[in-house]
Amino acid sequence: MTGDLLRILLLVLQLGFLAILYLILFGFARSLLRDLRSAEQTQRASLTGIGRLAVLESPEDQPPTGRTIALGPINSIGRNVNNTIFVEDDFASTNHAMLTFRGRSWFIEDQGSTNGTYVNGHRIERPVALSFGDELTIGRVRMRLER
Amino acid sequence: MIVTNVRRLGVYLLLTFAAVSAGLSYWQVVDAQALASRPDNPQVVAARRTALRGTIFDAQGKVLASTAVVGGLARRTYTDPAFSHVIGYASLRFGTTAVERAWDDILSGRADPNPLRELLNDVLARQPQPKDVTLTIDQRLQDFAAEQLGDKVGAIVALDPRTGAILAMTSTPTFDATPISGDPNSAVGAMEAITSVKNNPLVDRARQGRYPPGSTMKVFTAAAALDAGAITPQTTFPDQPKQETEGFVVDGFKITEHDLSPVRPALWPLSEALQVSSNIFFAHVGLELGAKAFLDYARRFGFCEPSRIGSGSHSIPVDPSYVTTAAKGDCTDFSDRTELASAAFGQAQVAATPVQMALIAAAIANDGVMPEPFAVRDARSHAEKPATGPSEAILERYGGSAGTRVVSSKTASEVRAAMVDAVEGKFGKLYAGQGAVKLYGAGGVVTAGKTGTAQRAAGQAPHSWFIGFAPGGSGATPQIAVAVLVEGGGSGAGLAAPIGGKVMAEWLKLEAE
Amino acid sequence: MRLAWRTAELRMLLPLLVLVPLGFVLTHVAEAGKLDPGPLGLALGYVAIMLGAHVALTLFGHRGDQLLLPLVGTIGGIGMIMLNRLPQDLAGTSVLGVDLGMAATQLVWFGISVVAMLVVAIGFRDDGVLRHYKYTWAAAGAGLLAATFVFGKEVNGARLWIDLGPVQFQPGEFIKIVLVVFIAGYLAENRALLTGASNRIGPISIPPLPYLLPMFAIFVIVMLIVVISKDLGTALLFFGIFLTMLFVATGRRSYVLIGLLLFVAGAFVAYELFGHVRLRVDVWLNPFEDPAGPAYQTVHAIYAFGRGGLFGEGLGQGLLPGVGGGFPAIQTDFIFAAAAEDLGLVGAFALLFLALLLVFRGLRIAMLAHDDFSGMLAVGLTTSLGLQTLIIVAGNAKLIPLTGVTFPFVSYGGSSLLASFLVIGLLLSISHRAARAADAAQS
Repeated sequence: MTGDLLRILLLVLQLGFLAILYLILFGFARSLLRDLRSAEQTQRASLTGIGRLAVLESPEDQPPTGRTIALGPINSIGRNVNNTIFVEDDFASTNHAMLTFRGRSWFIEDQGSTNGTYVNGHRIERPVALSFGDELTIGRVRMRLER
Repeated sequence: MIVTNVRRLGVYLLLTFAAVSAGLSYWQVVDAQALASRPDNPQVVAARRTALRGTIFDAQGKVLASTAVVGGLARRTYTDPAFSHVIGYASLRFGTTAVERAWDDILSGRADPNPLRELLNDVLARQPQPKDVTLTIDQRLQDFAAEQLGDKVGAIVALDPRTGAILAMTSTPTFDATPISGDPNSAVGAMEAITSVKNNPLVDRARQGRYPPGSTMKVFTAAAALDAGAITPQTTFPDQPKQETEGFVVDGFKITEHDLSPVRPALWPLSEALQVSSNIFFAHVGLELGAKAFLDYARRFGFCEPSRIGSGSHSIPVDPSYVTTAAKGDCTDFSDRTELASAAFGQAQVAATPVQMALIAAAIANDGVMPEPFAVRDARSHAEKPATGPSEAILERYGGSAGTRVVSSKTASEVRAAMVDAVEGKFGKLYAGQGAVKLYGAGGVVTAGKTGTAQRAAGQAPHSWFIGFAPGGSGATPQIAVAVLVEGGGSGAGLAAPIGGKVMAEWLKLEAE
Repeated sequence: MRLAWRTAELRMLLPLLVLVPLGFVLTHVAEAGKLDPGPLGLALGYVAIMLGAHVALTLFGHRGDQLLLPLVGTIGGIGMIMLNRLPQDLAGTSVLGVDLGMAATQLVWFGISVVAMLVVAIGFRDDGVLRHYKYTWAAAGAGLLAATFVFGKEVNGARLWIDLGPVQFQPGEFIKIVLVVFIAGYLAENRALLTGASNRIGPISIPPLPYLLPMFAIFVIVMLIVVISKDLGTALLFFGIFLTMLFVATGRRSYVLIGLLLFVAGAFVAYELFGHVRLRVDVWLNPFEDPAGPAYQTVHAIYAFGRGGLFGEGLGQGLLPGVGGGFPAIQTDFIFAAAAEDLGLVGAFALLFLALLLVFRGLRIAMLAHDDFSGMLAVGLTTSLGLQTLIIVAGNAKLIPLTGVTFPFVSYGGSSLLASFLVIGLLLSISHRAARAADAAQS
């Protein structure tokens, strides 16, 4: 009968092991679902913002370095204060570039600036689609497009 | 946008995981049972090569089959070739047959008759506990029956008409099951040696042999016609005496009588007709009964479909018997009146197993109730020392079903009286008198019976039949019913009847001890 | 540096304190046949490593995903239990004159790998190193691959190992990461410029050349792996990762379809040309034809699944490890079959479900990533873990031909463990940066 006792014990331990495993699984699933719900909420909140620009470097501090600028669908960039994004930099032109959201992607178009608009270090010749993470250079101001 | 694509990717991966899970479920649940029985599964290999298997005992507790583990290998030994067809074999190479097959779950210990204990064994992954089984067959009667057949080809079935317990069931020629069940490699040679013998010894003629029953069928025809009211014991057919010599023309086909000498034809009622075994009389009875009623009663008596000895999964199969041409395992309709008239005396397309014919005798003996046959009495916990007999712990009993009423009590007693006359009567003595048990040491006991000499194609010796029971006197309770068949044995009176009488007498003597 | 409590992570790590030692006790009781907990040093050591990682992340104010570590810890915990349950002389090493058994060696590798993960997760603040030097990385990967082809040691018919004196390692595990970095960089850079544009030849839309070229290059690399290394699993994995990332970048099923057709065609050619490929496929299609021959492992893995049934034979009680006096590659390729026999379908499902949750978590990190490169990187890394798990599990269960890839965090082996934890480190760092960016946007 000791053999049976041992077998019963092993069975109980085995079922206990599996039960704990499933409790842990349940915990994970719950956490995941909770995160999913909060993620949906934040996503809903951020639906109004289709993207933003992080200012990486700005020698004149306008826009201030480290600031993140929320973007609308159409943004003009330049040294004129009437631009959506006002850039205080001697190397930027008055109406330097247009940053627009069309359909599914962001596009940047140079507005005939003197010193040009750069994407990831390359000067652009015509309108160019951007991905999130791309780096824009307007004069000496470096900015990064983020979600 | 990337986010949408990532979400889609998530769905695709989820589906892939689900598909893999489904695949796992197939192996682990759906196919698990099949995998567990594959011969090269280490679980099976280890278990079968080394596993003990339950002992099979006869009704008296004598060992018939037992397994000993020698040097880590299980060896099964069968003690008595007379039992080879009932017990079958449990071979690592050729699988299992008969009782070894039907009771494999019990003998191997995979199943426990107690469902709760079985569940517990399963979840606790206990080693299978082999169990023993006890047959209803008495080795003394079985050996006696086999001796009577000797080197003749045939079968004997004997059962207790009150319960259906098989008392003897043997088929010749037989074989030794031990070498087939031993070492898988040498088993092949052993099997070849057995199958190369004439008259394939592997066939159980009691259950799988189908023969025209000849005049033994008249017992059925009489019972059916009496029960249906088509005849009474006093009914006679005016044309019959003349037709005994001139022949009976049915639809243009002439039915002739067998050699009735030394009896002279007369206007016979049932008793005399059965005594002299008049084919003409029973042709009339069959026509009187009609094709539909004949088939209905045949089905009621167990013809036209496969049957079993035992019930449920714990049973061994018996091939179907037929009264007409078989099609798709069933009887077709009689093609014409000639066929019906011939079937009434056991010729035409009638083909029956010895088991079926023994059951007809048993039904008459048991007051019109056909018993449900069974050959295994019980399952018991494994006896550590088989030589000292089975253990006392009975786990499950088999058999004991009430049986099925096939004809009324009145009909049964009328047929029974005619069957007694067929053995003991004035004319009967001349035909089936050798079947009387009093000739073989059972003095004072009245025997009921009927011989059969089943005609085959021209040039082939007829099959010799006898069915009967004893004691058959009015008021006595029959204790044994038999069917004896000897392939090509000639007349029933000459060969089968004395064997039947001896087997019944032997049993009555054994019972009296 | 700001201390940040990681309560969700801790809460999900604590159950390991019960689970892993219980698995060890269960194994010991089953094997010893008596009531005795047995040695628990390895189990507690394992949990200590995971909790240590949690403390380190907390102290460094890491803001990365809090479920990654517990998920990996649970999967790895089951792996430790299984490795502890197998015969300990299957593998092992000797450190400073002390002979370590298989489970102890794996624990050492867990320690090393977790430290590597922490270094990447905490120290990796700028992904520029990865994205700007992607061609350098690609060259390094190609070099590593070439080295495998040339110096690789053949084990079980596949050339996967490089022998470096005392240490052997499988470069394939690390090439995998490099490949993901390269593809992520390439696709992130070219994605937007090319969405929409495609050439048509008749009704078939052909991907633009910039996609076609790397697709072709990777296909060639994959076929080289099949031919030279005879490593079907890695080949399948690499191509799967590439196609998945291509799909996420472009959203085009047609590209994936073309890639798959290419793969099928390549597989067919490989089947016709190479004996080792043909053998694998034949064994897969008809394993029961010759169960004692090359199909031996496949057949017995299936038997093990069958014996496991719903609730398993019990930890330490399965027969697979003992088949044939020691089942080949049970601690690597067939660890899942062994686990499924011991823990049953219920346990196997749990393991698969944990892997799936890890994948979901990785994809969530990808969605929240603050730029496309990080997102693509997270997708690729996550896919590499997920596909690898699927390939080995499906191979064990005879759903696809068997290939020799490892079960991440479960199979025995230092290279696999180190590479898998590096992946987790990268995912942690990506989610950390996303969280910081989100904070910056709010303030």
